[in-house]
Amino acid sequence: MITVRIFICCFCLNTLFACKNENEKKVNTINVSDTLPNKNPYVNIDQSPLDMSWYPTNYPIEKMKGNTSLKLIARLLYSRPHKKGRKIFGDDSTALCMYGKPWRLGANEASEIDFFENVIIAGKNINKGTYTIYCIPHDDRWTIVLNNDLYTWGLNIDEDKDLFRADLPTMPQLPIVEDFTMFFNDMQTGCTLTMAWDNVKVELPIVFAR
Amino acid sequence: MKKLIVSFCFLIAANNIMVAQTLVPPIDKSPMDMSTYPNGYGMLAVQGKASEPLVARVLYSRPLKNNRVIFGELVEYNKVWRFGANENTEIEFFKDVTINKTKIKKGKYSVFAIPTEDSWTIILNKDLNTWGSFTYDAAKDVVRVKTPIQKTTEQAEAFYIYFDKSTSGFTLNAGWDNAKVSLPIAM
Repeated sequence: MITVRIFICCFCLNTLFACKNENEKKVNTINVSDTLPNKNPYVNIDQSPLDMSWYPTNYPIEKMKGNTSLKLIARLLYSRPHKKGRKIFGDDSTALCMYGKPWRLGANEASEIDFFENVIIAGKNINKGTYTIYCIPHDDRWTIVLNNDLYTWGLNIDEDKDLFRADLPTMPQLPIVEDFTMFFNDMQTGCTLTMAWDNVKVELPIVFAR
Repeated sequence: MKKLIVSFCFLIAANNIMVAQTLVPPIDKSPMDMSTYPNGYGMLAVQGKASEPLVARVLYSRPLKNNRVIFGELVEYNKVWRFGANENTEIEFFKDVTINKTKIKKGKYSVFAIPTEDSWTIILNKDLNTWGSFTYDAAKDVVRVKTPIQKTTEQAEAFYIYFDKSTSGFTLNAGWDNAKVSLPIAM
């Protein structure tokens, strides 16, 4: 009898959470492969759609709201591949992103970061301007690279154009992230760029040169 | 029985994990996309197949029709429309071009349109990094061109922009639902 009660209790709880989850999903998450039309007479929607992150966060929306005191610092353009049950990081060829091999930090076109002010990353002065950003993942660290070679597809890296490399420790990401995500957060001396996919997260500190 | 209880508890845990995951920025409902002239420039360039240097790149978000009436309702006639979704649509020229006899310096511009039943007036404007057309300022216009609507037989679920080659340069093609326009750009 007790087990039956526990069973019913579990069932109710589960239904409760399921409802909450359903609402959240409606507001926040969209399974792209299920909802995006795959056929367009002219240009198909990308399976790994492009996205834009800003610092200050949501800068254009804040500007629209009349928050004109904000100063635009950074804009990041990247495509968002999905995990789709695959092994993402690992040291053999069954992983989508192999340790030690350059990864475009996204999908499709090379990921691109715009700085509208001079900044300091890993102790190096970075002049305002546009850069390609990519990464070499390892088990315990990601090497993040800024490069001057722009408007390329994926990674056809001219390493001579690398501006700097910074090793950043990997941190566990729980719960796992289905869609590759990059976004900016506040930091006392500037901002951090968080990069997260699957069960791994890395944070790049960006100091504002004032 | 125990197995069932365990599996239900597991389901609860799994649900909680899914709820927590929504804290990271979700995929946009109207995803962003990129078009270039020459078409597919980035891919061609890495294969060494690009016949011309990069001339133009447009960044835009792609709203979906979702069974709605688009022109005349969702997108009102005779009002400035954001020509996309989310952030303002942005076009970058990597060399000077000419649009409707107006010289356009290389650089970035926002793009808007004023749709009517038979034409779209396409606008290039100097205001950048804005949201939609909510802060649109006509004083910052660079050029306005009235382009006639071509009705398409195939309906486009998602708003689209693409470029193709023309005799004097190239054309920016844009459309949604059954409407399509072409803006000639001379080099």
